[in-house]
Amino acid sequence: MDTEFKPNIVGFLCNWCSYAGADLAGSSKMEIEPSLSVIRVMCSSRINSNLVLASHLWGADGVLIAGCHPGDCHYEKGNYYARRRFALLKKIIDILDLEPDRLQLSWISASEGKRYSEVVNTFTEEISEAGPNPLAHNPKL
Amino acid sequence: MSKEIGVYICECGPNIKDRIDIDQAIEEISSQDEVKYVKRFPLLCSNDGKKFLEEEIKKEEPTHIVIAACSPREHEQTFMSVCEQAGFNPYLFQLVNIREQCAWMIPDKEEATSKAITYIRAGIRRVGLHRPLEKKEIESNPDVLVIGGGIAGLETSLSLAGKDRQVYLVEKKASLGGMSAKLSQLIPPQGLDVSLISAKIDEALNHSNIDVMTSSEVIDIRGFLGNFQASIHREEETSEIRKIKVGAIVVATGFRLYDPKTDSSYGGDVDNVITALELEEMAASGKVQLADGKPPQSVALINCVGRKERGYCSTACCVYSIKLAHYFRDHLSDVDVTNLYVDLCLPHKSDQAYFEEAKKKNVRFIRADEDVKIGQKGDRVEIIYNTDGKSNSLVVDMAILAPAMLPAEGTAELAEMLNVPLDKTGFFKEVHEILNPVATPIEGVYIAGCALGPKNIPESVVQSQATAGKILSSLVPGEKIVPEVKVAEIREEFCTGCQTCLSVCFYGAISFDAVKGISVVNEAICRGCGSCVGSCPSGAIRSKHFTYPQLYREVVEALR
Amino acid sequence: MEKRKVLVIGAGLAGMKASLLLANAGVDVCLVEKESYIGGQTIKFEEVYPNMECATCMVSPIQQDVLQNNNIELFMLSELEKVTGEAGKFQVKISKKARYVNLVNCIGCGACYEPCPVELDNEFEEGLSKKKAIAVPCAGALPNVPAIDPENCLRLNGKKKDCKACQEACVFDAIDFTEKDEKLDLEVAAILVATGFDVFDESSLTQYGYGKFPNVYSAMEFERLYAQNGPTEGQLILRDDKKLKSIGIIHCVGRQEQGYCSGVCCMYSAKFAHFLKHKVPKAEIHEFYTDLCIPGKSYQRFYEETLRKGVNFVHFEDIRVGAHNGGLRINYTDGNGKENSTQTDMVILSPAMIPGKNTEQLAEILGITLDKQGFFSTQNEQLSPVTTDKEGIFVTGCAEGPKDIPDSIAQAEAAVGKILVSLT
Repeated sequence: MDTEFKPNIVGFLCNWCSYAGADLAGSSKMEIEPSLSVIRVMCSSRINSNLVLASHLWGADGVLIAGCHPGDCHYEKGNYYARRRFALLKKIIDILDLEPDRLQLSWISASEGKRYSEVVNTFTEEISEAGPNPLAHNPKL
Repeated sequence: MSKEIGVYICECGPNIKDRIDIDQAIEEISSQDEVKYVKRFPLLCSNDGKKFLEEEIKKEEPTHIVIAACSPREHEQTFMSVCEQAGFNPYLFQLVNIREQCAWMIPDKEEATSKAITYIRAGIRRVGLHRPLEKKEIESNPDVLVIGGGIAGLETSLSLAGKDRQVYLVEKKASLGGMSAKLSQLIPPQGLDVSLISAKIDEALNHSNIDVMTSSEVIDIRGFLGNFQASIHREEETSEIRKIKVGAIVVATGFRLYDPKTDSSYGGDVDNVITALELEEMAASGKVQLADGKPPQSVALINCVGRKERGYCSTACCVYSIKLAHYFRDHLSDVDVTNLYVDLCLPHKSDQAYFEEAKKKNVRFIRADEDVKIGQKGDRVEIIYNTDGKSNSLVVDMAILAPAMLPAEGTAELAEMLNVPLDKTGFFKEVHEILNPVATPIEGVYIAGCALGPKNIPESVVQSQATAGKILSSLVPGEKIVPEVKVAEIREEFCTGCQTCLSVCFYGAISFDAVKGISVVNEAICRGCGSCVGSCPSGAIRSKHFTYPQLYREVVEALR
Repeated sequence: MEKRKVLVIGAGLAGMKASLLLANAGVDVCLVEKESYIGGQTIKFEEVYPNMECATCMVSPIQQDVLQNNNIELFMLSELEKVTGEAGKFQVKISKKARYVNLVNCIGCGACYEPCPVELDNEFEEGLSKKKAIAVPCAGALPNVPAIDPENCLRLNGKKKDCKACQEACVFDAIDFTEKDEKLDLEVAAILVATGFDVFDESSLTQYGYGKFPNVYSAMEFERLYAQNGPTEGQLILRDDKKLKSIGIIHCVGRQEQGYCSGVCCMYSAKFAHFLKHKVPKAEIHEFYTDLCIPGKSYQRFYEETLRKGVNFVHFEDIRVGAHNGGLRINYTDGNGKENSTQTDMVILSPAMIPGKNTEQLAEILGITLDKQGFFSTQNEQLSPVTTDKEGIFVTGCAEGPKDIPDSIAQAEAAVGKILVSLT
């Protein structure tokens, strides 16, 4: 357990629910670990496998996909596709010898500022314990 | 083309200024490739701020702009408008959130500054890959096709038809009015009667802007919002197919009734066991009588017939059974009337009073569970029912059943033709049960009345008027449609024709070109969610504004 | 062509949807709202039936659209004072109360709340928490700009004329104590009443023990307890905090008195049960009802899911709530006239939807009538439920009568259709 290790987590947040929830967490001045960098997409279904795998391969210690709760997707079904893809991705990163828990999926609604902060802080703690990404390989881009 | 990116950091009063070392950010970012300058301003969303930005754009002429401030959900629109004002393509601008998701969340100034710099760098790298997207305008036809000439179809047609808008009303039967034309009277409290329905029918038939086609069916529909083509087949003219062009389609195909004869517990072919509709028809003709021609001395109205099998409440039956009870007490005053019900569904404000009035007229209301057994007893009808576990028997001259409402015949075929979904019960499915109750995922296709699910007349009328409201607002004669800009597009050379994108598109915005063997995005109805982009195995389909290179750039900066 | 203008009264879901649809048609909308925030009653809910969808996620894009729409001019803390004229040319007078906080300058940072020395009951939170004299009703309320309550603010009510704690904390120059109440005169072509509903006062019926027993809650109070952005952040912390072993939900509160069924309570009571089963899975949940009103193709399915979760639905004829053994006891007579009782730790009352507080006053100002139940009367309840008998004045949503959200929205869209036709 490296106490100096500061996890670097990439978070893909959907515009309508989870990004709004994150905004609410900020407006409510909740303290959130700076480990996570947010990348906004319109819908969690936009996130394809390459994006997630690339993130891991390029050194992300953790990847978070966040979308609307099932049934609440702004585009009706998008988050269901994200969920299916996520299930598949968990298996793939396992094959790559990467701990499957380095990829997480969370449903966060626009009113769940607190939940967002809990998700990020807990994930950060877990990744801190897991240590740096063993596959880290930063290409020059 | 070399990029000269203008970066502006908003202080947002103390909100960003006090929590992020803006000077340090400016120092580090100024040296980044392609950054022309980095400036700071106290409050960019203020009138002064907006003016400053507009002047800056004109003065500095950056190729791209990054503003680091609050959440895009807050002010992306504001700054895009400023860009437009200044003659700058608003899609070459990126708003980076360093307030809600940075300054406000991270108490340590050093860490917050570091994060802000990361985000701004990501925004700069990303914006360099933005395309100068342009709004499009699409011609649209204001005319409307209404499928179904019952009360919903009539109401929709009459609400929409006008000198600038033609309505084509297609009805498969020989006459208009649907189920409501069979009713002997409507529900009070205003003491309405069916002449109001026939008045609507007359109005529609004589309206110079409503083209009524009876004994006709829609056999094909192509196109999209503003640009539909429909083929209509008239029964008498077997070879002739009429083609019409419309901008919107309203489905008002109504319902059919559950047939109680399919379940022997409802009496099967026992004499004098009829449905409410059959009673309405008898009452409309002026003669309510038993099979032997005599008037009934006692009747029982039985609700929830077929409810258990269908799994839903048909909404209108409790109140119309009360109406029929009133009818009997008003017209055949000696008749003994009993109404067997499971739960009284009286959702409208005047319904309960109507029920109380029926009680005052000595109508007997008996609460029972759904399981009734109807059979013959001599030349009368026996109803065996259960109340709180106890079995009871009621013997009457005539039993009137309130059967469940089912989807109309042809619903599934029409749904396929229109590419709209059905719900588990077989009725059409609205795009959003709560927020958008009369629209479908296919833009320009609306549904009203019982085609959407069981309901009563006032609800059907409201839904019909609602579809009219939506069409009147969005399909204005002479005006063009401006669709979403940040849509998906397909690069033909990479498309393998797997149609995965088509299968995930909820809005029917993707079609398959069988000749070329590729999928095609209809930009007029694409909503830009990116589900197709996320699912494409070859990467042929891409977002115009959330492209992979753009997102990868953000990832790279985050991981630096 | 001259741009037409329409007055919409009420910025709840019906009013907002109507305003957006009118704005989309190129009509100028003047949207008047009596509160300092928009969203009406729906924003008090955490979830809505039948899919347990997040209410704020659903409503906030609509609120944002309204706030950002160029064709909608929003007046909050405003009410209609006078109407003269006729369809096509109504002269309306709006009385707008001062907010004392500048909507343009304020960025919603909230720095002004803490220093304010005054604490009062938060009405939005049904009195379950306190707020300051300068406040937004809850986290996430839109617009994210507070208002000052002049009756409780020490400076504005004269009790401490030099207090400026909030102003000192504000660096955006957003607080202006000199702001005055205003009267605005407008000319509009049509008026749409979308003033929504109020809730039956449970304390007026002593048999339910509301206000007497601490753990008897009204549905609205429970909605706030349940909400993530509510006074307890969604935690079930009761007034008399104890382990919840059994909960009773009583429907039809006020039904007899009002003389109608509100049509939504059975469903939202079932919604409560779903939430409770999730939150306190071991608790027994009993729903007491007179008639189950679950119309339409999807509501019965939701009810059956509720049954499958083990929720007990009991039909009653009469019912009273009393105290017993340190908890509550629901005494009721069933369909056979037999007396029964159920011991619970908490009771939630589902009250009737009643006409909004200002309905009578507004009807008089507009010159329109009320129906027998006290809601705005329409030309024809069956075939013309959005037009009133005064040309140019329309009504929609719960202002017309109790109904659920989809019906309110369909009615709002219907009203827009009628208005657009009337404007040509």
